[in-house]
Formats: sequence, structure tokens, C-alpha cells
Amino acid sequence: MAGRVIVITSGKGGVGKTTTSANIGTALAKLGNKVVLIDTDIGLRNLDLLLGLENRIVYTIVDVVEERCKLKQALVKDKKNPNLSLLAAAQTRDKTSVTAEQLKDICEQLKKKNDFILVDCPAGIEQGFQNAVAGASEAIVVTTPEMSAVRDADRIIGLLEAKEEIESYKLLLNRVRPQLIEQNDMMSVEDVCEILSTELIGVIPEDTGIITSTNKGEPIVNDEDALAGKAYRNVAHRIMGEDIPLLDLTPKETFLDKIKNFFTKGKV
Amino acid sequence: MKDIFANLYNKVVNFFHQTDEKQANTKNDACNRLKLVLMQDRTNLTPAIMDRMRKELIELLSKYMELDRELLDLSFEHEDEQMALMLSIPVVRAKNEDEINEILAKEDEERKKLEELMNSESSEGDEENSVDNEASDDENQEQTDSEEENSEEGEEQDVKPELTDKEKAFSDEEEENSEDDSDDDEDDEADEEIDNDPTKTKKEKKKEKFFKKKKEEGASQEG
Repeated sequence: MAGRVIVITSGKGGVGKTTTSANIGTALAKLGNKVVLIDTDIGLRNLDLLLGLENRIVYTIVDVVEERCKLKQALVKDKKNPNLSLLAAAQTRDKTSVTAEQLKDICEQLKKKNDFILVDCPAGIEQGFQNAVAGASEAIVVTTPEMSAVRDADRIIGLLEAKEEIESYKLLLNRVRPQLIEQNDMMSVEDVCEILSTELIGVIPEDTGIITSTNKGEPIVNDEDALAGKAYRNVAHRIMGEDIPLLDLTPKETFLDKIKNFFTKGKV
Repeated sequence: MKDIFANLYNKVVNFFHQTDEKQANTKNDACNRLKLVLMQDRTNLTPAIMDRMRKELIELLSKYMELDRELLDLSFEHEDEQMALMLSIPVVRAKNEDEINEILAKEDEERKKLEELMNSESSEGDEENSVDNEASDDENQEQTDSEEENSEEGEEQDVKPELTDKEKAFSDEEEENSEDDSDDDEDDEADEEIDNDPTKTKKEKKKEKFFKKKKEEGASQEG
């Protein structure tokens, strides 16, 4: 078995890399794939929290690199989802504790026994980014329809393009607010795609459910009703090669809108 | 009675319409600002250098046709791994051959003069004084050289496809010279402040009008 190694990156912090990693990882595992999530944000680990695995971590990636344990021992299996396991980052160390070569080596080993290895990349374009990208052959660039996030994504895309090992990269547009787009106060999905000229793998709407799901330590893909959960499940299907149309995010008409439309249409 | 209802209806309709119009269109601001900043990020050209490049381009092209300088639009487009420079300037009037030849002849004359000057200076061997002059002469000559090359093919109206090479030549020169040419830059900045937002929006409006007009006329002017 030769698994796919996908790095999830963004440049800018706070756009939802870790949330995306947790959700896509969970969704892929639920579809029957063997998935390993690697948190490479050493010193600022959070992926364990989003998955609700924070109390079960014994060994971290730094322990593996420094040979205090075997790779297999450091993988924390999700009890609710036995296909999913996590290789956590060390919280008390920094990005220099692991080299790009070492991470590449870990990915190579994990590839043999898993379908997907998702690497959660830290923010920034320094050592942490270089490490995370080292073992990957595919990338998902997470961005939001905000200027700073799009600019940083452009920078990241430039860096990914320069890397020979990255064979393909796709864009995931997160925290989209259809209402604001409708009002022309937020860049639309098409705007961002045109500016970055990159293929889209998914559009995730802003959803307050993300906060509550993080509170519970359970990714939102487990919530069948949540729109963001559905969007992430679609992304997982697309990663597996299925052709699924983007979610329709046009805002639903409220009562006031109906009155408004009645009058404006009446005039025309 | 009918009037009262009609009145009321209109008032309500107007109320809702007003709220529609009040909504600021901040999305376009974001898109335009982003495109500009990404252009700078991708090319490593600072706004000042971009500005200078624009001016040099206009200067060069104006020799061969009369252009609307205000409406020059310069942008970079990403296609796969290639970056393309897109230039669009409305052509106000095509110059006739005599006009073009006159300008070119003048230029050749100036160039000859410069060459003579340079030769005489170097033969005199007055090194201390000539170092600075020589440097600037070189620049000028380079510029006229590159302009000359283009003059043979430059009489065509279609500006876009030829520009990429010229462009590179200019931006290269630019980077070499940008540090010692601080005087020029100051002058340039005084001339026009293209980067300022207020002028830009005006320009864009003007541009839109222009292109509408153009469409109506058909592309007859070009031929």
C-alpha cells in the first residue's frame, strides 16, 4: 500500500488549518480509509484538542525523532474511529527539534500502512513550513475570503510551486459568509479563485458549530446536520476522486427578504 | 383614495430601494487592492519602480503613436507557470510616417552627438571628470539601443504581444540604476501620483467611459 501524503497549509494563522485537518482526517477515516494525522506545529499543538485526544498522548513526534519510542507507539488511535490515529506535536519544544529529512522519513514509513497521511502545517513560511512540506506530494492551501489570508495564500502557492516534490495543490476556501458576499462586502468564491488562479477543492461556510464542536473535542463532520460538516465530508469525497458539486451557499430568504423582494419585483 | 394607496406604495418601495443603494461595495475595493499588491509581490517591483516603468513605456510608445497616457493599464497575469505582462493603452491617433521618421531621425542625431562626446572625452583621457558622465552616457545609449531595435517593428498598432521582451529589458535596467537615479525619481513623483486612490477611481471611471465609446465606434480606429 502506498498512501498519499497531503500537507494542509495556509501561511496565515487562524484561517482553519487545524480544523480542516481534523475534519478531513475524520471524514476520510469514516469513509473506510486508514488515516494518520501529523501535527507539525511543535510548541503550539492543538490538533489533539480538536480530536478530543489530548489526555491520551504519551509520546510525541519529537520522541520518535529522538528515538525514545517507536513510531507505532507514538500513534494515538481514536477510539470512536479506529481508522484514525494522531501523531502529536511536542508542546514543550520548538520547530528546530525536527528536521525536514526526519519528517520525510516518518511520512515514508507511515505511507506503507496507511491510505492517507495528513500533515497539519504551522503558520508562517519558516522552518515549520519547510518541515511539514518535506514529506508531502500533495497540498491543500486553506484560505478565507479576506485580503490578508488571500495574499498569504498566494505566497504559499509560490513556494509550493517551487517545490519539486509537490505534485499538485488545491485551494480550500474556509469561513465563507454567503450573506456578506450577497451584500458585496466579501470577496466571492469566484473572485478568490480568479485572483489565485488555483483549482478549488472545497468551500466551507462559516459555522458557529465549529466552536461548539471544538468545545466538545469532536470534529463537526460527525454532526450530520451541520452545513460545515457536510462541506468537509464533500471535500473528503473529492480527495478520493469523486466529482461532487460545491454546496449551494446562497443565503436563505428571511421573512423580511420576502417582503423586500415582493416590493422590488412589484416595481419592475 | 387611489392616490393615497399609490403614494403609500411608492414610499414603501423607495424605502427598500434606498437601503439597497446604501450598501457599500467594499468587495471591489478588496479585489482591486489585492490584485495590485499581488502584482507587486509576484514581480518584486516596488510601486515607485512600477511607476517609472509605466512612464518609460509611455515615452517609448508615444514615439510611434499618440496614446491616452492617463489610461495606461499594466497588469500581470498568471497562467500555469508562466507570468505574462498585459499592457493596454487606448490609441488616440496613429502617427503618420513622416512624424515617426522625424522623431527617429532626431533621436539618431542625439545619439551620434553623445557618441562623439564620449569618444572625444575618452581620447582626452580626463579620467577623474569623465567617470560619472560616462556612466550616465552608457545608460542613455543602452536605452536608445533598445528603442532602436523596436523601431523596426514598432509601427504596428497591436502593442500587446511585443511588450514582454522590452519589459524585461527595462525592468532589468531599472534595478541596476534605481539606486543612483534618485533625482529622476523625485521628478517623476512630482509629475503624477498614480498610486493615490482618489485619482485611480477617477481614472477607472474615465476608462470605462472610454471603452464604452470604443465599443460603439467599433474597432475602426485601429485599422
